[in-house]
Amino acid sequence: MSEAESNTVRELPYVMAINEGIREVLREQKNAFIAGEDVAIAGSVYGYCAGLLDEFGEERVIDTPISEKGIMGLGVGASATGCRPIIDLMFMDFVGECMDEIANQMAKMRFMFGGKATLPVTVLTMGGAGGSLAAQHSQSLEAWLAHLPGMKVVMPSDSYDAKGMIISATRDNNPVFVVLNKASLAMSMEVPEGSYEVPLGEACVRRQGKDLTIVAFGRMVHEAMASVDRLKEIGIDAEVIDARSVQPFDTETVVNSIRKTHRALVIHEAVKFGGIGGEIAAQIQEEAFDYLDAPVMRVAAPFSPVPFSPALEQIYIPNADSILTKVKETLAM
Amino acid sequence: MVAKKKTENSNGPSQKILQELHRKMVRIRKFEESAGKMMEDGKIPGALHLYVGQEAVASGVMQHLSNEDWITSTHRGHGHLVAKGGEFKPMFAELFGRSTGYCRGKGGSMHISNMDLGMLGANGIVGGGPPIAMGAAFSNKFKKNKNVSVAFFGDGASNEGSVHEAANMAALYQLPCVFVCENNGYGEYTPQARHQAIVDVADRAAGYGMPGVVCDGMDVMAVYEAAGEAIERARNGEGPTLLECKTYRYYDHVGVRGMGLNYRSDEEVEEWKNKDAIEAFEKRLLQLGVMTKKKIEKVHSSVNQDIEEAIAFANDSPYPLPEELLDNVYNEEA
Amino acid sequence: MDARTIGIVANPASGKDVRRLVARASVFDNREKCAIIRRALVGAVNAGARSFAYLDDSHNIAGGAFKEIGKDCEVVVVPCLKTSSALDTIHGARNMREHQPVANLILGGDGTSRAFVKGWRDAVLLPLSTGTNNVFPVLAEATIAGSALGVLAADGVNKEEVVRSVKIIDIEIEEEEGDIALIDAVVTNDQFIGSRALLNAGAIKKIFLTRAEPISVGMTSVGGLVAPLSEEEDAGLYLILDNTGSINVTAPIAPGLYDKLSIKSVERVKFNETIEFKGPCVLALDGEREREIQRDQKVKIRVGREGPGVLDVEKTMELAASRGFFT
Repeated sequence: MSEAESNTVRELPYVMAINEGIREVLREQKNAFIAGEDVAIAGSVYGYCAGLLDEFGEERVIDTPISEKGIMGLGVGASATGCRPIIDLMFMDFVGECMDEIANQMAKMRFMFGGKATLPVTVLTMGGAGGSLAAQHSQSLEAWLAHLPGMKVVMPSDSYDAKGMIISATRDNNPVFVVLNKASLAMSMEVPEGSYEVPLGEACVRRQGKDLTIVAFGRMVHEAMASVDRLKEIGIDAEVIDARSVQPFDTETVVNSIRKTHRALVIHEAVKFGGIGGEIAAQIQEEAFDYLDAPVMRVAAPFSPVPFSPALEQIYIPNADSILTKVKETLAM
Repeated sequence: MVAKKKTENSNGPSQKILQELHRKMVRIRKFEESAGKMMEDGKIPGALHLYVGQEAVASGVMQHLSNEDWITSTHRGHGHLVAKGGEFKPMFAELFGRSTGYCRGKGGSMHISNMDLGMLGANGIVGGGPPIAMGAAFSNKFKKNKNVSVAFFGDGASNEGSVHEAANMAALYQLPCVFVCENNGYGEYTPQARHQAIVDVADRAAGYGMPGVVCDGMDVMAVYEAAGEAIERARNGEGPTLLECKTYRYYDHVGVRGMGLNYRSDEEVEEWKNKDAIEAFEKRLLQLGVMTKKKIEKVHSSVNQDIEEAIAFANDSPYPLPEELLDNVYNEEA
Repeated sequence: MDARTIGIVANPASGKDVRRLVARASVFDNREKCAIIRRALVGAVNAGARSFAYLDDSHNIAGGAFKEIGKDCEVVVVPCLKTSSALDTIHGARNMREHQPVANLILGGDGTSRAFVKGWRDAVLLPLSTGTNNVFPVLAEATIAGSALGVLAADGVNKEEVVRSVKIIDIEIEEEEGDIALIDAVVTNDQFIGSRALLNAGAIKKIFLTRAEPISVGMTSVGGLVAPLSEEEDAGLYLILDNTGSINVTAPIAPGLYDKLSIKSVERVKFNETIEFKGPCVLALDGEREREIQRDQKVKIRVGREGPGVLDVEKTMELAASRGFFT
């Protein structure tokens, strides 16, 4: 992790950290712009583009029609021809509207052209459940994206990472999806002023422990951290790894941890079947089978669309309770 | 800018431009005929969508573009690349799957490209190109240069949402983008009357808020003139145009054959062949004295020779090495 | 079924050419052409027409309009070529002639009527504008135009009362089929027919006109602004252009497009007086480049009143109303 250019640190909610990240990028990269639905005069539906239009003007903060294919095509075409676009995809669920531009064009163009194309495009999008936004505005579809060779996918869980990863993503010469999450928007923590990077592809150990490695990303990092004290009550000292980047995935940090704890639990908000947890579990077994004292377990959403009713949504999203239950199962307690 | 050079005592393009247009069309025709043969001989693996019949469109449009102008192509993309200045050797090598190909054997026919020539790729996805061309046009406007981008697509692609979104955004932002619809009457194997309720795709232009024009895509001068006006408008910041060129593919959607099929009649194919763009243009160039029979023959023979050399080059070129497989999935440069 | 037949012709290609870019012409979409015919049919049927023959155009514009026609009407589909060129209308007109419609509703610009007349010289036309160069078509709401056709078909008026023969330009081309123009024949030094439209006033060398109207656009305006000539007068107008001409005029050579022309001479041409010249040149007829003339190929041009008949909508309706046709 590179040092922040400024030492001034203040508490900043996730939503404002995103804003600062974009702002730093637009200040330092003259070929960067942000385009998306409601980003300019409305300042984004989440508020994280507030003030950008005033500072950078119409040419660099661009309201688009509700046309995800067009918006993503704009990102592909503009990045391939020398710009460094930030494309804002309002909800992650909308990848279905533009999956061709993402999967067949953006991710593959460099490879198909024999390395002649470079696409420094960053896509900001918002994933996750928790607001009763129901089945089409709450999904966690990172596995769809991480399955695409050529694509990078990161999921910052907190303010510091959100700002740093947006900056890193825009400096990267590949298409990068920065998957933000709604549940973190109001969470505050200390964030430095100025520009700094959080490297893409490096996991972060959020808490040291010796009995069990919990691998989480995005919002689930907070649920994992919330479970730590309750695990302690039943005598388990858990290590929590924030994977942060889904593609590329930092297998090494995870495996190193498991060599120490001998047990692993993977948590994600996406449905379990076909989720990234399966990939992580497989990698652990390939790389660290001899160190395991128990099967790798997963906590994830049940195989159902995200429900609307708060009563159902609450039990749908993995939380400290479901983590505790699964840990007990893992350790045969 | 379109140079409105006049030949002696007449209005219109110079002899040089006319000869370039002719050469472009001949190069496309012969490249495609040879590629079709190479595929039938088993030299070219995979699928090949041949551009034969539509040469006037690529040639007439590309005559107005420089390497700094961008185009996006279609699955039927060889003709666009040839017209944009693509060389036969790396093109055949690419179709042959060799490491000396434009895409180092990673793309093949459906993704053949050359960024240095401003060619943002053939595209295996129908309707894949226009949003990218719109993005490239955005880039040009953002950078305040005078370059344009041209999106080629077919009547089939005109029904894709991606094309509508790209057209709407290009009109909204007044981008230097020309949408060239090569209406060859068929979406793959489905006649136009079975895939849309309109006959002139250009009718849709009004709905996007841009001018729509229909021109004879079998007449290279009709395309040249109409495209010249559309491109000049784009360069001058007057926004996008939808230019529909009525044309025809002599061969099948994929591969060669083209005749004796259920989805279209041989008579129809013959009718269109009677309007062949190259034959008609050669006849007129002879009448105008722009070219002599001998000179035309020389163009043909020199293109033939280029093709022979390119095929030999492709044949002799190595296949990519196994260790090249994972190259260029990502850009590793910081 | 006593009423006589009405012919219906729609040109799919009208209103679509490059003049939407170089001039300020608007696109004429085919749905509107279809709607115009539908309105005209309502007017015609209401006036008593019961028999129709329509040209089976390549875009099914006319066919689409006949979908809702009543079962008490006889409708003949007249075959035509589908080459997406003027040939379709020319050949279609020949086929239409066999059905002897009393008059033909023609949707298009000057070029469409010209093509129809090429196929059927002494037809009676009611040309409605859906084109770019619209000197020949009449200005009328389709419903009323249809009504006038209906009145004629149902014998509410006599043809002699309401149909007037118009002027025509006849063109002889050495060793080739000749040609005609209803409004203007223009000699340019273009090399190609290309996108057909006359894009550049600088290329124009000679203009022959059947009428020179200051209130029209296109080539007719060039004469019209210099030496007006009405359709009623038995003469043509012949202009020679030159870079150093003595008369300079800025004329609307297309909708929304003015250009400067330098005229060397203007003269009235008597009927059947022949003007001869040689190629190479391109002949633009009724607003569009049509014929490539070879070097030393001879061309002869003359004007006369052997053109088609045109139905006078206003006169038809006035006569019909005064005779109580609608009451």
